[in-house]
Amino acid sequence: MTHTVTYLGFIPLLPLAGALLIGLIYVVTCQGKQISERLYGILGCVGPVLSFFMAVKVFFALLSLPAEQRFLSHKAFTWFAVGDLDVSMGFLADPLSSLMLLFVTFVGSLIHIYSIGYMAGDQKFGKFFAYLNLFLGSMLILVLGDGPVVMFVGWEGVGLCSYLLISFWSEDTDNVVAGNKAFIVNRIGDLGFVLGMAFLFWGIGADGFDYLSLKANAHNLTAPVGVLVCLLLFVGATGKSAQIPLYVWLPDAMAGPTPVSALIHAATMVTAGVYMVARFSFIYAHVPAAGEVVAWIGILTALLAAIFGMFQSDIKKILAYSTVSQLGYMFAGVGVAAYSAGIFHVFTHAFFKALLFLGAGSVIIALHHQQDIWKMGGLRSKLPVTYWTMLIGGLALAGCPPFAGFISKDEILYSALANGHVGIWLIGVLVAGITAYYTFRMIFVVFHGSPRDQEAYDHAHESPRVMLIPLLILAAGSMFAGYANIPAIFGGHQRVSHWLAPSLVEHHPHSGLGLEILAIAASILAFVIGISIAYRKFTVQVDEPDYSGIKKFAYHKFYVDELYHKVIVAPYQFVGKAISRVIEPYVTDAPVQASGWLYRMCGLAFKVVQVGYVRIYAVYMVIGVSILSLLLSRSLNF
Amino acid sequence: MFENFLSIMIFVPIIAGLAIFVLPFSKEAARIIGLAVSVIVVLLGLKVFLSFSGASGAFEFVEHIPINESLGISYSLGVDGISILVLAAAATLFPMVYLLFQTKQKGYYANLLIVQGAMIGAVAATDMVLFYVFWEAMLLPVFFMIGLYGGPNRLPATIKITIYTIAGSLLMLASIVYLGIAHQAQSGEWSFAMTNLVGLSLSGATATLAFVGFMIAFAIKIPLFPFHTWLPDAYTEAPTATTFVLSAVMAKIGVYGVIRFVVPVFDESFARYALILACSGVIGMMYCGIAALAQKDFKRMLAFSSASHMGIIALGIFCMNIQALTGTLYQIVAHATSTGVLFLLLGIIEERTATRNIDDFGGLAARAPIFAFFFAVAMLASVGLPGTSGFIGEFLIILGAVKFNPLIAVLAGTTLIIGVCYMLWLFQRIFFEKPNSKLAGFGDLSAIEILTILPIVILIVVMGIYPQPFLAKIEPSAQRQMAIIEKVQHVAEYRLEPQKPGQELKTGDR
Repeated sequence: MTHTVTYLGFIPLLPLAGALLIGLIYVVTCQGKQISERLYGILGCVGPVLSFFMAVKVFFALLSLPAEQRFLSHKAFTWFAVGDLDVSMGFLADPLSSLMLLFVTFVGSLIHIYSIGYMAGDQKFGKFFAYLNLFLGSMLILVLGDGPVVMFVGWEGVGLCSYLLISFWSEDTDNVVAGNKAFIVNRIGDLGFVLGMAFLFWGIGADGFDYLSLKANAHNLTAPVGVLVCLLLFVGATGKSAQIPLYVWLPDAMAGPTPVSALIHAATMVTAGVYMVARFSFIYAHVPAAGEVVAWIGILTALLAAIFGMFQSDIKKILAYSTVSQLGYMFAGVGVAAYSAGIFHVFTHAFFKALLFLGAGSVIIALHHQQDIWKMGGLRSKLPVTYWTMLIGGLALAGCPPFAGFISKDEILYSALANGHVGIWLIGVLVAGITAYYTFRMIFVVFHGSPRDQEAYDHAHESPRVMLIPLLILAAGSMFAGYANIPAIFGGHQRVSHWLAPSLVEHHPHSGLGLEILAIAASILAFVIGISIAYRKFTVQVDEPDYSGIKKFAYHKFYVDELYHKVIVAPYQFVGKAISRVIEPYVTDAPVQASGWLYRMCGLAFKVVQVGYVRIYAVYMVIGVSILSLLLSRSLNF
Repeated sequence: MFENFLSIMIFVPIIAGLAIFVLPFSKEAARIIGLAVSVIVVLLGLKVFLSFSGASGAFEFVEHIPINESLGISYSLGVDGISILVLAAAATLFPMVYLLFQTKQKGYYANLLIVQGAMIGAVAATDMVLFYVFWEAMLLPVFFMIGLYGGPNRLPATIKITIYTIAGSLLMLASIVYLGIAHQAQSGEWSFAMTNLVGLSLSGATATLAFVGFMIAFAIKIPLFPFHTWLPDAYTEAPTATTFVLSAVMAKIGVYGVIRFVVPVFDESFARYALILACSGVIGMMYCGIAALAQKDFKRMLAFSSASHMGIIALGIFCMNIQALTGTLYQIVAHATSTGVLFLLLGIIEERTATRNIDDFGGLAARAPIFAFFFAVAMLASVGLPGTSGFIGEFLIILGAVKFNPLIAVLAGTTLIIGVCYMLWLFQRIFFEKPNSKLAGFGDLSAIEILTILPIVILIVVMGIYPQPFLAKIEPSAQRQMAIIEKVQHVAEYRLEPQKPGQELKTGDR
């Protein structure tokens, strides 16, 4: 039983309309006199904020319904229908998408507001807000879409915006190359997504290709096809959510403006893969083998990225690897069929990671676009608000109880343990320790000690209020978001898990108090060890170490980028050149060239006989007539 | 008032074109006549498109005048769901050319008029001999346009396309004659009407040869790998308007020919060799797409890109299911709009800067934002981004390919990746990076250029967001074609079976 509400369509439409309007104004005015940033800023923020209020309205509308009837839908029009395939431009708000809606529009609005300060004075200020609105609209289509194809619209839309915003400062070739890389690597994932959709359609899509119909027919999907669909869709997720082997684009994506890194490459877009797996929990739950793959890829990505994060010197790259690592946790969660735990970590991560990025942006602006942590130091006194908010974000990321990150991460690790995935749990605890280490390595180096670059330090100044207020709000979120899902052991009610239950197909493990205490104790221990090592090493005055041996190998990220270049990019370019310079002219086109040659050869042959003397032609005629009469006489039996 | 819209759309341009050749018009007068005629054709085309219902899947706007009763040749025209979008593309895209390229010789405009009339004729003809006449008539102006008004290496390019095309035409002519003979043998009288030829039961070696004859003729025009080698030279050397005509419309008539003639008449041979043809489509897509990355000349890169997309479009026919076939018919127009805009915009750059070397550019987005925006929209449609026309067709084709043969589908799907590789690289080198000082005087599009291209850019988005009205006109006819093929699919022994038992039960008619 679903209720139809038209206003669902407006949630993505508002930011999209904003993008169109701002884009038109920008295109018309960008060559002449520019209009004021204030107008762009207001236009840019209206759509997201209105969408947020509508998301709240959706939430309360769902809340007023009985749990099993919490579905609101709106079918705008039939998008395309051919044969059995029937795809509508339809939207579905259920507990899962409404939770996503809430934090996407909330964090999105805050980052739009923050951007007014961060992008001030930029030549392309208006364009930035057009893209940012376009992104938010696409993200909301992704979340609200009522079936895989509509999700794919948003999926590709956010990918496009990601590309446009990474290469935003497009005069610099490096930025454009990073944007291209993001787009192309995501496209590799998208191939998996498209094929997964196709197999899903031929499996069970004929009776309706939206989530609710698919869920109703999921039992008709045979196991091999189910595994295939799950793995192919997960290929899509590894692209968008930067998992092994397609994670390489995300660190490079930090070339974009910092609000973009916060919104797209930390809080919202990159979590789309996790959302997708949770969305399709009605298939994943039936094929544990596929879930196993998801979980292992996730936890190994978490480990790999955490290792890389330990050695980075660019503040945004540290956070980027930490995002990859945290996304790995989320996949470990949904992989072990703890979908609500994975989604809850998506939720809390949006707050503290957006906070950390925006804080980093504040530091970067204060130091006039300095991003190297080894040029910072002692900024605590200069940037007090930034420091305290980032400290809160750092504690949440590092998993310090009772901050948001602790509660959601612990839920994932406990679920892994309770579902019998001891290996995944052990690696997860190890990664928790590494996370605490690299997070506080960053915070101590940037804010503690004494300045490493005195001149930059002297000119540093705290950011304007329009940037600090979002920081404060997100800091509050990072502290308290966890309380939405406090486990029973602490006397909580797991409200988020219960809220999500109607959207997901999952079974909560009941494995006793002992296991739960073990999981919590291990997480806290890992946090304490990680932060203590960081404290010992980085609160004293140190400069960038000279890495050698295995550390150097990790510092260069195991040379994975170089490997991909050698094994994939360079051969691809080589084949392209080989085709156009050798194969095309000398092989494929050879028969055509040869036809010209054959023609000339024929001409030479005829040249011999066509001599131009009448007497010779008379001889030909005599010979021809004789042969003909001979043949004729034989056939008539003379 | 008058009923024979199709005949008017065919002969008004042809007569106007001949008149320009014969009568002493000035260049400017020739252009104005061309523009006026093309606008008339657009209006008639819109009239036909809008009043075409397509619900029955049968021919509409039928005209029939017997020419030679004893040989069964007639002047027969008609439109159905297979041809409606090709017809619409041939009818509506031409005014842009007269508006954007204003300083050409009068022969240039005359040839454009004739080629348009002939293409509309080829698409509307329902008699095979008549089709052949228009098919030949549309090729001649192309030779002239490349040979007379093309780039510095135009002569080799012209010779190459001539050799290719004549070879194909002769094979097709022989095959058409064979069909007439076969009809005479089976029913006692001559006929070349499509509706009669569909009923033939053709088997044996001669039928296969005739099938091959048709396929080669259309494969050259599409072009299908390995018959594509005329294309990069011709597209690169031809003047922009001709490249535009070749890529946006004429290549599609090749695809159309396969769907219209080969599929229903040679149903058995087609089903038997579909897998080989599908492989050819996929190999061509990958081969040309990868080669595109290595080009230094942007027109040549776009030529390879166009050939690459045609591989996927052709694949949709060979998958033999309704989704893929409808996807192909839709993609015909989607690709015409996106590739058409790309060629026109690059043509404008070429006219202004007299260079096609990608290395000579950079930073154009800052100098010409509207230009860059139009290019970006067409580029995104070309790489199949949802929300643009390019997605719908490509998605349907890949979806259909998965049912036909999963391996082919995986390879076909790589077009998602291959396409963005060269396109983003092109976009980076022309529009991003540091502004090139050589382009200091490069301004944005003029008002008339904006107004000319804007409708197509809007169409790209509309066709991506609301394709159903177009699909509804196509599908019934496509279903008819599928019904013919499904009857003979049991002979398709080379075709791999669907990946699992049981699913066939659920894919019946809705």
